[in-house]
Amino acid sequence: MMVPVRCFTCGSVVGEHWEEFEERAKEGDEDPEAVLDELGVDRYCCRRMLVSHTDLVDVVSPYQ
Amino acid sequence: MPGEYDVEFVERGDREARFLVRGATPAFANGIRRAMVADVPTMAIDEVRFIENSSVMFDEQLALRLGLVPLTTPPEGEFVEDDVVTLSLDVSGPATAYSRDLVSGDALVTPAEENVPIIELKEGQRLEVEADARIERGQTHAKHQGGVAVGYRHLQRVEVVGDLEEFEDEESRIVRGVIEDEGELLNAEEFDNDLAKRYPGKEVRVEDVPDAFVFHVETDGSFTVEELVTRAADSIEARADELEEAVQL
Repeated sequence: MMVPVRCFTCGSVVGEHWEEFEERAKEGDEDPEAVLDELGVDRYCCRRMLVSHTDLVDVVSPYQ
Repeated sequence: MPGEYDVEFVERGDREARFLVRGATPAFANGIRRAMVADVPTMAIDEVRFIENSSVMFDEQLALRLGLVPLTTPPEGEFVEDDVVTLSLDVSGPATAYSRDLVSGDALVTPAEENVPIIELKEGQRLEVEADARIERGQTHAKHQGGVAVGYRHLQRVEVVGDLEEFEDEESRIVRGVIEDEGELLNAEEFDNDLAKRYPGKEVRVEDVPDAFVFHVETDGSFTVEELVTRAADSIEARADELEEAVQL
């Protein structure tokens, strides 16, 4: 639903990078690999947290 | 333990560092690693009272998210177990509640990361909570782990033993971690982890240096790497003292 706060595997805080990643790589047309490198998300466990995430708040909110 | 330690930094930052320890046994190196992960207490939100939550997430889900937000941990001795710091959060939609919206009752304990989204609130939704942060060890819950991805490797010594034959194909030789080359410490990432790139046309031998460990330590922001390692060493010392006292006649 919302981005996980931390990486499931190593525990580093990844949530803080989500908005910039979404804006630049998911909505924008930058290369996700380059964006993640720039954000300092180095390990592949943390990278998959952002790459594979989908926000669902907009999908669920009409059914409150 | 006999002998002296020698600690040397390869890379040093506030939140991430790589350092070499010489003269430690494998058991001690692992002891330090485990202490960093599980025995250094940090602050984290432990109990949440919901005053209003009309967001799309359940109370429990939000409580977990709040708990995972790293908080700055005060100097040793400021807080003992069961001491409580209260933080509050009050956000009305349409807006996103961030970790920076947490208002702390104590200036020593504040969110270490400001931009962690807690929950997105739509028109008419509101989140008001009061949360208690406690100091605990990583053993009890992962949110209290100060060290992230803490690990170590043997230091590797690289020696040039000769030249490759003239028309021999150069094969890549991948190494990870830190290498020692005639007393100089080098992170293998500097030459793309490939010894063939650093020593073109040479035959090299790689061997582990006994009792030398290169630690890689990252913290979640609760404190600096230096603080984490010192506290981990202190916690081992404290337990050793306790054991000594306990077995005395």
